[in-house]
Amino acid sequence: MSEDQSILICDDEADLAGELGEFFSACGWRTIVHLGAPDALEALHAGAAPTCLLTDLRVGHFSGAELVAATRRLPAHLQPRVYCLMTGHVLDTSEAKDFGVDLLYVKPIDPDMVLNDIQKFLDGA
Amino acid sequence: MIFLSHNLRAGWRAWPTALCAVTFSLFVATALLYISERKEQALLSESVTTSGWVAYQAQLEYVKTDDALKRAALRPDAEALADVGLRLEILRSRLPLLYGSEDGRMLPEIDALTPVLQRFEIVLDGMIDAMPALESGSAPKEPILKAWSSALAPLGRELQSVLMASVAYNNNLFERERSLSEQPTLVPLALLFLSGSTLIILMLTRARRDREHLRAVEAARRAVTEMERNLRGVVQAAPSAMLVVDPAERAVRFINPAAAEMVHPSLDHPDWTRLIDTSLEEVQIGDDGGMILRIAFAKSGGDVVSLRGSLCPVMWEGRPQMLMVLIDNSRTRDADLQLIQAAKLATLGEMATAIAHELNQPLAVIRMAVANAHRHLDAADAREAVAAKLDRVTTQVNRAKRIIDQVRRYGRQPSGKAATFALRPTLELAAGFVAEQYRACGIRLALQLDVPADLAILGDRDLLEHVIVNLLINARDAFEQRAMARPRTVWLRARLHDQKVLVEVEDMAGGISEEVMAHLFEPFSTTKPAGAGAGLGLSLARSVVRDMNGHIVAENMRNGACITLLLPVARTPATREAA
Repeated sequence: MSEDQSILICDDEADLAGELGEFFSACGWRTIVHLGAPDALEALHAGAAPTCLLTDLRVGHFSGAELVAATRRLPAHLQPRVYCLMTGHVLDTSEAKDFGVDLLYVKPIDPDMVLNDIQKFLDGA
Repeated sequence: MIFLSHNLRAGWRAWPTALCAVTFSLFVATALLYISERKEQALLSESVTTSGWVAYQAQLEYVKTDDALKRAALRPDAEALADVGLRLEILRSRLPLLYGSEDGRMLPEIDALTPVLQRFEIVLDGMIDAMPALESGSAPKEPILKAWSSALAPLGRELQSVLMASVAYNNNLFERERSLSEQPTLVPLALLFLSGSTLIILMLTRARRDREHLRAVEAARRAVTEMERNLRGVVQAAPSAMLVVDPAERAVRFINPAAAEMVHPSLDHPDWTRLIDTSLEEVQIGDDGGMILRIAFAKSGGDVVSLRGSLCPVMWEGRPQMLMVLIDNSRTRDADLQLIQAAKLATLGEMATAIAHELNQPLAVIRMAVANAHRHLDAADAREAVAAKLDRVTTQVNRAKRIIDQVRRYGRQPSGKAATFALRPTLELAAGFVAEQYRACGIRLALQLDVPADLAILGDRDLLEHVIVNLLINARDAFEQRAMARPRTVWLRARLHDQKVLVEVEDMAGGISEEVMAHLFEPFSTTKPAGAGAGLGLSLARSVVRDMNGHIVAENMRNGACITLLLPVARTPATREAA
């Protein structure tokens, strides 16, 4: 685990966002938690530049997909290296690329698996 | 034309009265004429008698006086002379009666004769004055007496003519009397004939009218009998249960075969009393003021039937009773409930994705909390940290349980039984059921429930909740079809209005087109894409609301549609006592 790895978590479910933050912090990640997409986007604009963006698909009126799309329009140095999307909906045929992300998860997620996937993605990249 | 006809009818009705008046008048006239003639006849008879008597008396006294004078002239003794004096005085007294008395005044031409009679009175006065000298004198009396007889002869002729005139006059009177006695006989007879004829016409007319009236009464009686027979046939053959109830004695007086089959053939069966009690307890007043019934009745055999019908006051065997008409709509009701259940399950199916998402939220928290708790187990202060995680797990489990409870409650089979329930919690439950979907769709659900928390209404709570959920889902779908509609807000309002409660679901999603609005509450009317709804929601909503004795209306307001439910407030025990 690298000390400079960071993750920006965006979920309007405060308990879940808190648990996720706690998990990644315990794993040595610097965590930034936001409960709404506008706040998260503002932080990204301000130069948060996390290693990973983990967002829920539905986070209020501004969806996670919109947050991902907006983030992708940021300058390259402000963009995360890996984009992760979570959703509570049952997905049958949808894939990560359908939402413009690198990793797609259906709640409830296995945090260890998510961590491994991110790590693998980063290592692969 | 109508006015003329009316006048003719009025005249036809009035003329027997006029005939009666004419008959009565003729009778009165006949009576008056008869009395008048009787009086006139009596007067004539009296006149004839008295006037003739006066003339006769005067003539008789003249003859007696003349006779006394002639007898005294033949033998002038004292007795004869005294007789002459007496006769002269009597004759003198008779003459004034001829013209001075009422009877004498009736003699013909008496006025012309009066001076003559008065001259002879003077003559007679002279003779009477000369009588003492004649009686006591010695002069020959015979010439004097003959001279007196000659002097009075003209008086005799005058009196004779008066008598003859009187007789002639009397004859005239008798003739007139005879003619009168003959003439009045014809007039009253004619009048009596007219009266009798009029009376007969009147009686014949009356008899004819009575016969017509009798025929009309008999025809009406036959019609009534026939109608009664037809009605009895209808009542006997009617599939609806019809019974006449004495509410005071809680007894049944009449039942038709359908009622006998529905409850029991015997009027004394205790089920009837229970049915009456239930009906009188559950009776409601409809908008038109009529009494309507919607009851669930448990037969003694255990079967529960859903009955609908009405009550109305009737006169039965001379007493005020209640006619109760009931139909067993259990099958229809069951079919409706099954349809509603199918619609609810369809709604649940449509909501399955949202419900799954909603359930995954607490599960995700639980999963993460458990993962973090495992990490804490190795730490020194594990107990406190793990306990906090377990509390979070418990909270999320309860959250998941609430979601499942909502789904289970929404999905259960409606009972179809009416009961009083609090409106506000029902609306809050319905709003809670769709809250996650609204949140997911970015739609704000605004609640304005300005009713007391314990305000009760009568109906099936589950069905009303289904109606509200259905309306809220329709509003959500309207926004889905018009993504640009703003603001994305749906209002769920409740407020009291004139002893009723208004429940409104209003959106700002552009409203309903006139074409759709015209058939909005008809079955299979939908604007949703194929497969997104059967179009039964609003039709079932109307059925549910009607069963609650309420109304449902739709209208376009501002920039959206508003569905309004008008529901009667239930009579709580307190209000029943007050009533």
